[in-house]
Amino acid sequence: MSISQAVEAAGNGSQSEFRRGVTSCAPVQVGTIPYALVLGAQATQKGLSTVELSMMTGLNFAGGSEFAAIQLWTSPPHILLIVAITFLVNSRHLLMGAALAPFLRELPRRKVFPALFLMCDESWALGLADAKQRAAAGIGPAFSPRYYMGAALAMYLTWVAFTSLGALLGPMLGDVGTYGFDMAFPAVFLVLMRGMWKSVAAARPWLVSLVVAALVYLFIPGAWYVAAGAVSGLLAAWLMAGDA
Amino acid sequence: MIDMTTLFTIVLMAGVTYLTRIGGYVVLRNRVLSARATAVMEAAPGCVLISVIAPAFVSRNPADLLALAITFIAATRLSMLPTVLIGVASAALLRLFIG
Repeated sequence: MSISQAVEAAGNGSQSEFRRGVTSCAPVQVGTIPYALVLGAQATQKGLSTVELSMMTGLNFAGGSEFAAIQLWTSPPHILLIVAITFLVNSRHLLMGAALAPFLRELPRRKVFPALFLMCDESWALGLADAKQRAAAGIGPAFSPRYYMGAALAMYLTWVAFTSLGALLGPMLGDVGTYGFDMAFPAVFLVLMRGMWKSVAAARPWLVSLVVAALVYLFIPGAWYVAAGAVSGLLAAWLMAGDA
Repeated sequence: MIDMTTLFTIVLMAGVTYLTRIGGYVVLRNRVLSARATAVMEAAPGCVLISVIAPAFVSRNPADLLALAITFIAATRLSMLPTVLIGVASAALLRLFIG
């Protein structure tokens, strides 16, 4: 056995670390495929071409915000509304990045910035959980960049490939409303929200958002309901944090 | 097949998203956020997501409301794939039979 093989057998080889990342990501990857297809199909219904949709999922690579953007997409799009909503949906990355930062201290910045481009809910959760496990087991350095990149690249390729495939297949499906595919949006959003659930108290701002958004939607024409709902929920969170 | 307004919107989306990805590492890593700021940031994604789908909660179509209720219950106990399948199937069937 050569030295490199011995190292790889010990689990420190770069190849095996990357593969370990890809493998650990497989279950979430499979779960991502159907909703990537739905997003792609919905995007073509809203008038986006396959190239445009592939660019969105490839450059933005944040599913929740892309679902929100497609749901609110008009032709031409309300640029400010869509960009603001994208920022708000993805603002959770700020906290995720801050939580991951202590584990990235030993990595050079030229590696950190590309790695963070691929930070999604799944790769973040896997990378952080793995780093905590390795730290507890006394393995140093705790954060395994190749493990993280394996998981993150697998997620990225799956997301871009299957949203694009959905966009290609979309026109063959016809009006998605007929088959109930539009219910995929509330379904995806509600499952994402359950993943964010902390406590009833922490979820009260969501209820405020729902009620305000629904009322504004009923009585004020246009897409103002999203901004109104989001802002009132944030305000509620700000006010309620005082008594929590 | 690329519209300039669409391209511009997508590039801006990608830009703000990348800022959120590096922002936590660059700005927040050596700082302790106040409990209030953390609460607001933790609530923000959910506030936006629920606002986007709020119209579904006040639909005038009973079939859609019933399908949403079923989807809601599914979402509280099942993972992504079964929830989406149940949501889509219940909406399709209820629209077919209730209208």
